[in-house]
Amino acid sequence: MPDSGLWRRVAALSELSDDAALPVRLGDVPIALYRLNGQVHAIDDVCTHEFALLSQGFVEDGAIECPLHQARFDIATGRCLAPPATVDLRRYAVRIDGDDVYVCARPPGD
Amino acid sequence: MFLRNFWYVAATDSEVGRKPLARLILGEPIVFFRTEDGKPVAFEDRCAHRHLPLSMGKLVGDRLQCHYHGLQYDQTGRCVRIPGQDQIPPSAKVKTYPVVERYRWVWIWMGDPALADPAKITDFHWLDDPAWGAKASYLHVKANWQLVVDNLLDLTHLAFVHETTIGNAALAEHAVVKVTRAPNNVVVTRWIIDQPAPPTFVKVGGFSTHVDRWQIIDFVPPAFLRLDVGATPTGTGAPEGKRVGGINMRNLNAITPETDKTSHYFWGQAHDFDVENAELTNRIFEQIQTAFYEDVAVFSAQQRSLDLIPNPPQLDINADTGVIQARRILARLHDEEQAALHVTAAE
Repeated sequence: MPDSGLWRRVAALSELSDDAALPVRLGDVPIALYRLNGQVHAIDDVCTHEFALLSQGFVEDGAIECPLHQARFDIATGRCLAPPATVDLRRYAVRIDGDDVYVCARPPGD
Repeated sequence: MFLRNFWYVAATDSEVGRKPLARLILGEPIVFFRTEDGKPVAFEDRCAHRHLPLSMGKLVGDRLQCHYHGLQYDQTGRCVRIPGQDQIPPSAKVKTYPVVERYRWVWIWMGDPALADPAKITDFHWLDDPAWGAKASYLHVKANWQLVVDNLLDLTHLAFVHETTIGNAALAEHAVVKVTRAPNNVVVTRWIIDQPAPPTFVKVGGFSTHVDRWQIIDFVPPAFLRLDVGATPTGTGAPEGKRVGGINMRNLNAITPETDKTSHYFWGQAHDFDVENAELTNRIFEQIQTAFYEDVAVFSAQQRSLDLIPNPPQLDINADTGVIQARRILARLHDEEQAALHVTAAE
């Protein structure tokens, strides 16, 4: 399926794993894909505290921990769970079509 | 900050002999020697009588004799002779440390002797395994031990500090990095795929094509870093686990704090190809040694900066993930040791 409207193909489903994030780009925006209990989630990849790529951090208990300063975010919702960050990550709608992962280029709430 | 309940490398095997060796470890002055049957022994390096370093003395059989008034200590640290005096008071003894010789190094336990289990010694078998060619050495570093640990956990510095030997720009710009962690372990895996080989690899491995290069850094506390490093021609399958037609090496590092601002740096380089070729072992060693001298200059300059402005704010970048995780482990272990000490003191 080609890109249509706001939906962009960003990865193959087979590239995802349960224990690590997959960093991809949505246009110019670095986002990270996660697979949790068979569900695929897409959230911003840059920490809301300082510049760090969360996809290089640690996936534990449904949360991603920043590799640099230990801020934590809920993978499914983007919600900030631990300091030093205070601002949530943006979450993106995901659609799966066969082995293709599509992400909506407009984050919910924009 | 020091961690005590760990085995540290105290000396190379050839440094410890029948002439007492003085060495400061975790701020404690220690003297090392061997008994007549070759067993390594470590004492506090201070006579119980008038505090002269016992390392200024000499061995009389298996007894270490103080240079000042001739008191003799047996290998358990007990004074067994005081010239001109028949009675030996019970306080006439010096502290001893558990020591074990392994992997051509002499290891010392700096914590509670009751916990000194040799099974806890970190594996460095590559240094004396006949399946590997290896050479090891020692560097004195005028810097805090954690700066050395940091250095080995972030190898992007090879692109800048070691561009004439083991580094090139590909390392910093084209690596795929993964950091995994466990309660007492950090592993940083870097793959540099289809890039030119650095100068040392060309000299040692004779590469004429692009290579797939790996650096798998295994950190265990307090300061052991075992690096699985090498390269094979691109497309021959190294990322999938097939290492053929290239070079496969181990860069082995054991850092022992001397003081808060100085360190003993024991290191070695091992290779699993042409292992009997001492000339090759030496050539590889010298290439890496050149790079390590460059590191030592960096460490002491960092320490001088930190001496001028202690605990300055610092910037963290992407490449620091391994460094930060290791420092967190060390801080937690230190907290645990301090808490256990307070419990013991309160009992």
